Amino acid sequence: MSTAAKKTVLLFYDVLSPYSWIGFEYLCRARNKWNIDLVFKPMLLAAIMKESGNRPPMMVPNKGIYSGKDLHRLRSFYSIPLNRPANVQDVLMNKGSLSAQRLLTSVQMTQSDLTERLSRELWMRVWSRDQDITANESLLEALKAIGVPDDKATKLIQSIKDPKVIERLKEVTNEALSYGAFGAPTIVATDAKNEKQLFFGSDRMELLASILGEKYEGPLVEFAAAKL
Amino acid sequence: MSHAAKKTVSLFYDVMSPYAWIAFEFLCRARNKWNINLALKPIWLAAIVKASGNMPPVPNKKAYSRKDLSRLSTFYSIPINQPANLHEVLMVKGSLSAQRLLTSVQMTQSDMTEHLSRELWMRVYNRALRSLGVPEDRAKGLVESINDSKVKEKLKEVTNEALSYGAFGAPMIIARDENNEEHFLFGSDRMELLASILGEKYEGPLLQYAVTKL
Repeated sequence: MSTAAKKTVLLFYDVLSPYSWIGFEYLCRARNKWNIDLVFKPMLLAAIMKESGNRPPMMVPNKGIYSGKDLHRLRSFYSIPLNRPANVQDVLMNKGSLSAQRLLTSVQMTQSDLTERLSRELWMRVWSRDQDITANESLLEALKAIGVPDDKATKLIQSIKDPKVIERLKEVTNEALSYGAFGAPTIVATDAKNEKQLFFGSDRMELLASILGEKYEGPLVEFAAAKL
Repeated sequence: MSHAAKKTVSLFYDVMSPYAWIAFEFLCRARNKWNINLALKPIWLAAIVKASGNMPPVPNKKAYSRKDLSRLSTFYSIPINQPANLHEVLMVKGSLSAQRLLTSVQMTQSDMTEHLSRELWMRVYNRALRSLGVPEDRAKGLVESINDSKVKEKLKEVTNEALSYGAFGAPMIIARDENNEEHFLFGSDRMELLASILGEKYEGPLLQYAVTKL
């Protein structure tokens, strides 16, 4: 790996977004090949939608149908165990991700070495095993699953109500909006000229590589953490 | 190139869509590498958007698309210079006549469709106007055919065909794989996946086969 300074790649994401999961897994794998510093930025997608005036793609029926097929193919292509929840409308529109995103924010503030594994475990719950991510019990299960001891886990769940955590999630969400976000995932990468470039979606990785002066080598399945 | 039967890749497109231009150029180039038969299917995007209940992009998305297209223009070596009054071009002037012209050409002189599509994209998205090089009487006949009821009907047919697959925008690709199964792909950013479906190799933007230049 080069001794040159790492290029920063900010990943703004919400575990409600399956395409965010794809973007997340890909960038985690790319760290093995690219000289990058991947920074996790959990944000609240619902707020991004509201502030930008955008609407979730599922609001257009044909888009909803298409994305089901699209995700099914990407599942194999990227070797990510994506499974659509049985009542996806309810999961996305009613249940949401506020507590989950606050928990990720809290973890990123105080125990950032856990953020990656917790993010993945939350995606596995909602977008692979069709499990709840809204109730405290569910979030406790997620923390246990990644090996967090009971007392620490309980404190983290309590921190979801901490005004500092609530404020921090708003801050990060506003940061994404300040870059011009309208959905998830939103990637902000600093290029060779030290300019920040915005990328939307999980399908600009080849272009991202080009801008970072790195090589694009496909889905990098050999570095997959979560496998099919 | 393989002796196996070519796999059909149908591209449903409207010259109003810059992303459709990218998909078009990439697939034209890919014919040099992949064992495919590219079928061009001009549609009327405005009808697709209306029928599917899709919405125009919000301000942040519009601003993002400008940057996105600028980068993709360089990456693919396609001279996408966005018109200053893009909204007027897309919403007010529209593409009905252009798409009917393409439909007419595809019905009667399909060897011209590719060239004409590219020229129309260049007109919308590039300030340098290139002449079509078509003899005047032929050109006149084609422009007049825009009002021909058969041409109008055919454009409706192809647009409805796109909708029958579940279209909500452009470009839309229908690819038949080796098992004769059809796959629907939306956008110009599923080419690597398309290669995988077709059992072909993905090798980037294929600039060595670019007809367009910056």
